[in-house]
Amino acid sequence: MDGRSGGVDRVFAALGDAGRRSLVEAVATRGTATATELAAELPVTRQAVAKQLAALADAGLLRATRAGRETRYEVTPAPLEDAVEWMVSVGTAWDERLAALRRSLGRQGKSRSIRQAPGGSSS
Amino acid sequence: MPSERINVEREIVVPEDPDEVWESLTDPDRLEEWFAQEVELDARPGGEGVFRWGDGDERRAVVRELEEPERIVLDWDDGGSVAIELEPVVDGTRVHVVESSPEFAPAFELRTLSLETSAAKPPTPGWEAAPPEAALAWTVAAAA
Repeated sequence: MDGRSGGVDRVFAALGDAGRRSLVEAVATRGTATATELAAELPVTRQAVAKQLAALADAGLLRATRAGRETRYEVTPAPLEDAVEWMVSVGTAWDERLAALRRSLGRQGKSRSIRQAPGGSSS
Repeated sequence: MPSERINVEREIVVPEDPDEVWESLTDPDRLEEWFAQEVELDARPGGEGVFRWGDGDERRAVVRELEEPERIVLDWDDGGSVAIELEPVVDGTRVHVVESSPEFAPAFELRTLSLETSAAKPPTPGWEAAPPEAALAWTVAAAA
C-alpha cells in the first residue's frame, strides 16, 4: 500500500498544469479522444495537445491505444488501479482468514466436547 | 463529497453458536489461530490492538464499537476499518465481514476539480501557465 504515494506524486506533477487538467477532463467527458478531436475544440494546436496527452499517459492518468494513424486516449487514473489492487488483496486475505476461523472453531469445538463428555466413558 | 472508500464483504456460516465465535473474534489467543500471527487486543470500546503477520506486516487498530456477541468494529491506523457481525442462524452463526478501504482520494476528485479549473480557464493564453491557486486547490482537495 505504501507504493501508492509515489504514484500519487506523479499524478500531482502531471496535473500541476491547468491545461493538462482541462485535457484530462475533456478526455473523461468524451470517454475516449484523440489529439485531433480535442484540438478541434480547444484553443491550441494539435501538436500541443498531442504532447500533453503523451505526458499524461506517461504519468498513468491516460491509457493510450493506437487507432489507425491516431492514438486514442482514455482516462485511467492510477489510484483507481490501486483501489482494485486493494480489493483483490483484502478479499483474498479474508477468504483465507475465514477458512482458518472455521478450522479454528472446529478444533475448539472438538476439545470442548471431549472435556464435556459425561465421565469420558467411551474414550 | 462522494465517498472514495470501497468495501470488501465476506460471509460464512459456521456450526458454532455466536458466543463461541465471539471468543474467536476478541480473545487474542483465539485470534492468533486465524486472524494474525501475533495479536494484542484490548477488546472494549476505545481499546487498542496490534496485529502482526508472518511477512513482517504490522497493523494497529482501535476498537470503535463492540457489542457482545454481535458486532465488533476496528478502525485501522491507515484510515480503513473492519466490521465483523455475528448473527444466530438455524445451523449456527453467520459471520459477516465488511472491510472498508482507506480513502483513494485523488482519482475520484479528478473530474470535479478539472471541471472547476476548466470553467475558470481563460479562453486563449495561459495554456501552459497553471494558476497557482488551481494547483493548491487540487492538493487540498486530494488531502481532505
